[in-house]
Amino acid sequence: MGILLFNSAFGFYVLGLLHSVAAFVSKQNKIFHRIAIVSVGAGFVLHSAFLIYSAVEKGSLPLTDLREALTFFAWTVSLCFFISHLRYRIKPLGLFLLPLVTVLMLGTIFIKSSPVPEILSSSWIYWHTICLFLAYGMFFITFIASLLYLFQERELKSKKPKTFYYWLPSLVLLDDLFYKFLISGFCFMTLGLLAGVIWAEQDWVRGWQSDPKVIAALVTWGIYLALIYLRLTAGWRGKRAALISMIGFLSVLFTFLGARYLGGLHYFP
Amino acid sequence: MDLVLVGLNHKTAPVEVRERIAFAEEHLQPALRRLQKDSDLQEGMIVSTCNRVEILAHGQKSQAQIVQSVKDFLYSYHTLKPPFLEDYLYSYQRGDAVRHVFRVASSLDSMVVGEPQILAQVKQAYVEACQAGSVGTYLKDLIPRAFFVAKKVRSATQIGASAVSISSVAVELARKIFGDLKGKTTLLLGAGEMGELAARNLLDSGVSQIFVMNRTPKRGQELAAKLMATAVPFEDLETYLIRSDIALVCTGSTSLLLDKSRVEAIIKRRRYRPLFIIDISVPRNVDPQVNDLENVFLYDVDDLQSVIDANIRQRCEEAAVAEEIVDKETVKYMKQLSTRSAGPLIHSLRHRIEEICLEELRSNHKNLDPGEYERLEKALRSTAHRIAHPFIREIQQVDEDPNRRLHKIQLIRKVFRLDNDS
Repeated sequence: MGILLFNSAFGFYVLGLLHSVAAFVSKQNKIFHRIAIVSVGAGFVLHSAFLIYSAVEKGSLPLTDLREALTFFAWTVSLCFFISHLRYRIKPLGLFLLPLVTVLMLGTIFIKSSPVPEILSSSWIYWHTICLFLAYGMFFITFIASLLYLFQERELKSKKPKTFYYWLPSLVLLDDLFYKFLISGFCFMTLGLLAGVIWAEQDWVRGWQSDPKVIAALVTWGIYLALIYLRLTAGWRGKRAALISMIGFLSVLFTFLGARYLGGLHYFP
Repeated sequence: MDLVLVGLNHKTAPVEVRERIAFAEEHLQPALRRLQKDSDLQEGMIVSTCNRVEILAHGQKSQAQIVQSVKDFLYSYHTLKPPFLEDYLYSYQRGDAVRHVFRVASSLDSMVVGEPQILAQVKQAYVEACQAGSVGTYLKDLIPRAFFVAKKVRSATQIGASAVSISSVAVELARKIFGDLKGKTTLLLGAGEMGELAARNLLDSGVSQIFVMNRTPKRGQELAAKLMATAVPFEDLETYLIRSDIALVCTGSTSLLLDKSRVEAIIKRRRYRPLFIIDISVPRNVDPQVNDLENVFLYDVDDLQSVIDANIRQRCEEAAVAEEIVDKETVKYMKQLSTRSAGPLIHSLRHRIEEICLEELRSNHKNLDPGEYERLEKALRSTAHRIAHPFIREIQQVDEDPNRRLHKIQLIRKVFRLDNDS
């Protein structure tokens, strides 16, 4: 049952991705676009059902190993995709978001499930991981919004409009998408980090302050904090903000994927 | 019985020729009546715009005859001598004429592909023809279909989506920067005509407030009154550049009004909110280097033109998709037309077979009681339908080769002696 739900969700995501590409390549993109949205919607519903099913089956949230983490991250990205689609209706967004969802899902298939360490039985772990994954999903949207902003800005500066000029929405709209997801991502990251600290203190985990993943996360948090601060005080926006947020996202990637190879508390075999 | 289109357009004829055979709107109805009478046509319609004059005619004569009589009409109506128009005129028959009408209505044959006026012009021509009484069953079916096709092309493609004039492209760019223009403020610098036009376009597109700034305050106030805008003093340029989102620069000044460092200071005080500067003055009033500044988008006349060029290229790409739609619709329409034209034939065929079947019964019904008669009649009628059915299917079947179909129909007519019926 779980496998079936997962596979059909994956199938729908792939279908959605293919139709997003088709919408981009073909000129009559309305129908393809609609099919893409509907497929991703179906994929998202099945994916959610899969997560609920696994949680019920396991008796706890499926969040404890890399395999489960990737599945959950894919789910948050597709959740963010839906929120942004409902609010902004930016057609090319799917073209950029769905490949990640697909790759994450594909990764899940190839990674073997590992046993859960004893230490991860506290309820704070759930808040810690859920909030951080939501934050990462939102930062990914911020990253894509920055990318699209830079594309559109270049089109407008070059004065020789090409495909993206016609396809992308206005700069102000992209900036709004960027900012809203930046703020919400930042809030979730703060909550996630706080939950982690509380958990570490409660369980008397020693040396968490010098854990590589914690340090990387703090650097990421600092970059996004600086970005928000500069926007509020000096009005930094546009190209500059977009570039900084892209650095921020690289830092997210390092925190999420890279830091586990440096060992420390977050390393699980 | 045939449909013919004779005409010329901006591609085949220069304006000197087009203007000589154009029909003024008030002369259209008398012209149509004369065309119908002189050329002995069933139906006629004249589309006359600055880029084209086309006559759509439907008559009982052969194609060549209709074409000739329409040409004769053009020569005599405009008192021209043949062969003055011969090099410029084109003519289309049947399916080609239908396709041409669809293409014209969908704005695929326009000088600026996708421009929306042509559809309104064709609609107006149709109304005139209806009022002149030169529209019959044929055109009453074809022309509304052309409107339908035009609508379909417009909704299925982006053919009319992008801007192709200076003032509309300014609005399009503003929308690509700011999205919704509601709540946005424009500063109009100088009282040039192009600037006024662009400002008016921005106002129509939702811009909330316009400031007008001019070196001679009186002229500025006049323009502000015309645009329902606020006139502001020229000295406060910086203050108003900080307050506005769009600056339209269109002065007669020969020197630079804004250089890079001045705009840089302004953009900082704007806290980097995007500023769109449209410099349509020649010589230019804004230093081109201003465009290098972050969140400042400076467009001069040439830049606007290059966006227009790109938009036209994009329209042409869309036009290829539109042509496919038009082709499909033409084939569909021609098929429907041929099945529909078979209607009277099918009717008389059914009637004839029924007659044959019932003839015997009618002459020998004396020794039948009424109930029995009714039953027999019913049975014979259904037999007649069964006999007729395969023939009807043959008639309705659309053949790729129109001659074969014609031959088939003629054979059926001959066998059942249907000639005098339709």
